[in-house]
Amino acid sequence: MVDRIDFQQLKAGEVNLGTSIMAVQFANGVVIGADSRTTTGSYIANRVTDKLTHVHDRVYCCRSGSAADTQAVADIVHYYLQLFSQSSGAPPPVHTAASMFQKLCYENKDALSAGIIVAGWDKEVGPSVYNIPLGGGLFRQPWAIGGSGSTYVYGYCDATYKEGWGRDETVEFVKNTLALAMSRDGSSGGVIRMCVITEEGVERLFVPGNELPKFWTGTEVLAAPKTKVVLDPQVAPMVVE
Amino acid sequence: MTSVFSPPGFDFSNTLRNNFFAEKGLPLPKATSTGTTIVGCLFEDGIVLGADTRATEGPIVADKNCEKIHYITDNIRCCGAGTAADTEFTTALISSNMELHSLSTGRKPRVVTAMTMLKQMLFRYQGQVGAALVLGGVDATGPHLFTIHPHGSTDKLPYVTMGSGSLAAMAVFESGWKANMSREAALQLVKDAISAGIFNDLGSGSNVDACIITASHTEMLRNVEMPNIRVQKERQYGFRRGTTAWKTENIRSLVVSEEVTLLGTGDEMDTT
Amino acid sequence: MTSIGTGYDLSASTYSPDGRIFQVEYANKAVENSGTAIGLKVKDGVVLAVEKLVHSKLLVPGANRRIQTVDRHIGLATAGLPADGRTVANRARDEAAGYRDFYRSPPTLKTIADRIGQFVQMYTLYSSVRPFGISTILGAVDKDGPALYVVEPSGVFFGYHGAAVGKGRQLAKTELEKLKLSELTTREAVIEAARIIYLVHEDAKEKDFELEMSWIGPETNGQHVAVPKDLFDEAETKAKEALVSGFE
Repeated sequence: MVDRIDFQQLKAGEVNLGTSIMAVQFANGVVIGADSRTTTGSYIANRVTDKLTHVHDRVYCCRSGSAADTQAVADIVHYYLQLFSQSSGAPPPVHTAASMFQKLCYENKDALSAGIIVAGWDKEVGPSVYNIPLGGGLFRQPWAIGGSGSTYVYGYCDATYKEGWGRDETVEFVKNTLALAMSRDGSSGGVIRMCVITEEGVERLFVPGNELPKFWTGTEVLAAPKTKVVLDPQVAPMVVE
Repeated sequence: MTSVFSPPGFDFSNTLRNNFFAEKGLPLPKATSTGTTIVGCLFEDGIVLGADTRATEGPIVADKNCEKIHYITDNIRCCGAGTAADTEFTTALISSNMELHSLSTGRKPRVVTAMTMLKQMLFRYQGQVGAALVLGGVDATGPHLFTIHPHGSTDKLPYVTMGSGSLAAMAVFESGWKANMSREAALQLVKDAISAGIFNDLGSGSNVDACIITASHTEMLRNVEMPNIRVQKERQYGFRRGTTAWKTENIRSLVVSEEVTLLGTGDEMDTT
Repeated sequence: MTSIGTGYDLSASTYSPDGRIFQVEYANKAVENSGTAIGLKVKDGVVLAVEKLVHSKLLVPGANRRIQTVDRHIGLATAGLPADGRTVANRARDEAAGYRDFYRSPPTLKTIADRIGQFVQMYTLYSSVRPFGISTILGAVDKDGPALYVVEPSGVFFGYHGAAVGKGRQLAKTELEKLKLSELTTREAVIEAARIIYLVHEDAKEKDFELEMSWIGPETNGQHVAVPKDLFDEAETKAKEALVSGFE
């Protein structure tokens, strides 16, 4: 009898997206973002990975977990959405895409390690973000973070996120959150890739690894003190024998 | 007396024996694994693929000059690392299916098609088919280079390495690769990357194979570099004739003679 | 009937030399013998109405309904063999439930009409089966607004503003054409639907009939339900009055 299922357990030698991913909804679109690191054990198999995966014109997903599993699931959903838009004659709602991911992730939960965020824009409800964590649940959220790096930045997101932001503020929020997550999580890193999805189209943004936003780096503490400590000549040092 | 008829169903009679052997430190034989260096790199008008030629079976070199760059189509090739049998048969199967696919669609084969077929097959086998591949080629949409891992994940990059020598080879690429390199420079870089694997990785060795694919032509460069040719021994280690004394001599005829008697009625066809 | 005795009308899988499938045409005859069914697509909703001929005084009023619900927002009215109507309605329910399960959203009427069309067409291909002896009016308010379709025994389906099938379809269609359907409210359409059913019913030839009506619109919260009793009574009263004034 198994009393606990270890979802994080990857098969031996499996390619892992130890990841920081994120999606945030704003007035007329969504901003999605991810780091670019793919690892096999301690080796970085790909340092410029694109984890923002197209599944339809205005629907993307952010992938975390096993690279093979999430690619396979995204490919299947991509196929279903093509079928949907061809037979219905209209682009699919984000909810429909998210439901397909959820169905696959839930029904195959024993075989998959996939944490996926689905985000996009549709005619019916406008921008939306759906989170599909490991067990195969489905949750609509104004913002979602995922992957191993996300645990470090929940507090930052809770403290920073405000409703009613515009495009530029949302992009800054995503960029800063990911930079913080990447700096603390060893399995995340590389560059930041982002997409802004609106009714008009999908805009891709790229932040190189040497231009990431910088926060506290510890140099103030570790560097030598600026002023020299002057000892009182009246106070004699203790004699040590 | 035991029956000559075997009972229906599977025969598990050897299971117990095999478990016993395994317990005593005599496990089942392992498949030949190509501890390998394979690479691929993009240049101004195509793709260069490279591979070493060593196949290993545990600590033993099983083949000193095997071929790891497999044919997929005229314009697509695939380097294989991992279980030798798996890379051999998956690439052969996909090659066959690619030919049938391009025959039925009436179009030139594309690299993404091969990549999709490979990743879907490897994903279906959940990593049990141990093929780690570098797939490269040039099609109607331009040059493409992919890595495919045994579990079915893929990456698209301008330069890639795989196998046990991938770290050594990647170090060469990371320091030497530039965008839009010439054919000569790219080939040299690939040779250097494979050589790094051959000399620094125990699982890789022997010679360098390379393959240059451009829009118009594919050139397979078998053993383009042979840095490990066995040299003439400086001294002779043979024993002089007569070193071992012999005391008796016995010569026997090993020719078997046979007499054939034709049995017939005299109606046989005359075959003289 | 020129087809009789030729042998070309014995199977749905056989064409006549001039390219007709007589079994499908006979199925249409089964529809023509049935009580009229109409559908109205108006500004903000859809109304379905059926003239259900009552062949026995022993029947319980309201039994053998010919308007059925396929999904929360989809209604279906049939003219023809009642048993076939139930088969098709059950298939439509399965399709709608299957769609909901797969896409997690309510199906559009076009999707259901398309799938029912395919289902009905399958019964025109084999000698072992009989084509459906019904025409099906499908009505719904979906994400694109009100929608109305008719699926015929051959499997073809068309979208309509107003649809009529069964015995009195000709007269019903001329009445529907007189209406400004795109300007009517669903409530107004209920009144018109009742009037048309009463008008096309041939009192002299036919026995008794029961009026069956359902609607989908803002007053039903987008759901397919039977017309409530007060509105139904009002519509029926007005229909009878119109009939009397029409004779004058």
